[in-house]
Amino acid sequence: MVEFTTVLAGLGDALNLTNLLFVIAGVAIGQFIGALPGTGPVMAMAVAIPFTFVLDPLPAIAFLVGVNKGGLFGGAIPAILINTPGTPDAAATALDGHPLAKKGKPVKAMKMALYSSVTGDTFSDIVLITLSVPLAIIALQMGPVEIFALMIFAFSIIAGLIGDSVVKALIAAVLGLFFAMVGLDPEHGTPRLYFGYFELFDGLPLTAVAIGMLAVAEIFRRLANIGKSILPTIEIPDTQDADDKRVSRAEYWSCRYVMLRGAVIGTVLGAIPGIGSTAAAFMSYASTKQTSNDPESFGKGNIQGVAATESANSAVMGANLIPLLAIGIPGSITAALLISAFKIHGIQPGPLLFEQQGRLIYGLFGAMLMANLMNLLIGQASLRLWARIISAPESLVFSAALVLCITGVYASTGGMFGVAVMLAFAILGYVMTSFGYSVVIFIIAFFLGNKLELSLSQTLVILDGNPMAIINFPVALALLLLSLLSIVWLGYLAPRRANKRALIADDQSDTSSK
Amino acid sequence: MLINRLSGAFIVSLGLLLYFIVIPAHTEIVDYGWMRPQSIPNACAILLVFLGIVQTAIPTGATSVGFSEFLRVSMFALVTICALWAMANFGFLAVTPLFVGALMLLVGERRIGWLLGGVIVLPLAIWLTVVPLLERTLP
Repeated sequence: MVEFTTVLAGLGDALNLTNLLFVIAGVAIGQFIGALPGTGPVMAMAVAIPFTFVLDPLPAIAFLVGVNKGGLFGGAIPAILINTPGTPDAAATALDGHPLAKKGKPVKAMKMALYSSVTGDTFSDIVLITLSVPLAIIALQMGPVEIFALMIFAFSIIAGLIGDSVVKALIAAVLGLFFAMVGLDPEHGTPRLYFGYFELFDGLPLTAVAIGMLAVAEIFRRLANIGKSILPTIEIPDTQDADDKRVSRAEYWSCRYVMLRGAVIGTVLGAIPGIGSTAAAFMSYASTKQTSNDPESFGKGNIQGVAATESANSAVMGANLIPLLAIGIPGSITAALLISAFKIHGIQPGPLLFEQQGRLIYGLFGAMLMANLMNLLIGQASLRLWARIISAPESLVFSAALVLCITGVYASTGGMFGVAVMLAFAILGYVMTSFGYSVVIFIIAFFLGNKLELSLSQTLVILDGNPMAIINFPVALALLLLSLLSIVWLGYLAPRRANKRALIADDQSDTSSK
Repeated sequence: MLINRLSGAFIVSLGLLLYFIVIPAHTEIVDYGWMRPQSIPNACAILLVFLGIVQTAIPTGATSVGFSEFLRVSMFALVTICALWAMANFGFLAVTPLFVGALMLLVGERRIGWLLGGVIVLPLAIWLTVVPLLERTLP
């Protein structure tokens, strides 16, 4: 048990001017790099780590934490402004963020993204500070069978994103799953579907696929639809009402349950190594949409959609540190990068960390809370800058976005092969969208496909091929039942309820017009 | 309706192509273990055939296929493919100004200020950020 004086000393260490300056620098760099399509917190941290070699441990880690948190919010900026999410999890933010921007309210959408990102992040940080050890132990009780059930549960959220055709949604999901099978198979380690390209042994790069389908396809469409007169990318009327440029206290408060649900989903999924923020963002979005009184407004600029996704994906990052700090297991790539930074500075994460380096760890917690505050303040200031940039003509903004996607994917995948994959999937994304097949569902299935296959393979070995043996795993059983309930609720009952409400509303409007 | 039926028929053909040609030719067939390399790909192919048949028989969902938009998107994709080939051979700094200039001119941008911004300032800013500042490489 860490002594209270150590906690206070650690927090006191964090709250000094030097650390504050490093946190500010980290957040600003993170927001900037995160806002470039194709890059994100991972790239931002990878770039920042070498700069910390010459620093003391606490300022170094405070700087990296700032970069990570800034990068988290930065990813939402291009998603909202030009519908080109820089990371797969930001795709969920674009679903409602971009329609809000198109309505002339980009600042409002970005502010909601910022507030909910900071809220979700702070929630998971508080959970990390207070409950990291017991939560990590519970999270590690999740064996392959439970992870498999969790994967099925994650897949069941697709039911909440089905549009006007169940068959098309299923086809998109199956296609996503199929493309996830490229590369080495997890049980036998034999390469498959790689067509002689050794770069595909590790599978298709997620960044290239996601940016191609979500961002580049949209850029091509927007370039193709530019008319004779070239307009600003997003027009913000000079006479715009002040309410359209800010998030009022009442609006923020009306999203409190949405943000809380997102933060809880993000924290729970983040505490389990390897699940990732994309699943959390879409799970939170789907559950918010289907429990809403007005599900039809989602996808058309509902501010709750932005709050749901940003609170969830930001909460994942804080919770990723739970297994890292308590047991020494990184929960994500960013956590793995952080572990490398710890080791560079002679800190060994693991069960003894709190006893041996208690003061430093509470210093880290102090820096995390400080970074949340700085993220909020710097984000507020930078929003005006982004709003000005986006008022440049479409011809320049979309050409620039395309070049940024190319450079981002080149840097993250390490060569032109990734860029070629991005372009191929951009064309596929455009064709799928034109024919009414959801690229978002494709991406979710693609993202979860590998994990599903691995956990299914391990589960079948553990259960010795007998599915009935799953009754010996109560957590997995509960998750499977929950998946079934979620499919029935999200895919059948909630849409039926929404249709009924729409019919009643139509009837009422007909009656009043008569 | 016809477009939906056609897309359903395409999915059926894709599923058959994957099941009978692509998967057997590009997957090492293993005949032991609960999960084999071909298990999920084959399941996907069968599902595609089944769902494609359903989509062809009972077409559902909206489409937004526009011929002129498709042609313009193909043109931009072609320009991008050429630019990527050129970047791989001649380098980022040599090709990007021409690429951005071509894109901007193709969409009808004629204002010299914005064109200069795209052709000179943008590539230079990206190069300065990525290469000297972030210490990453560019093509």
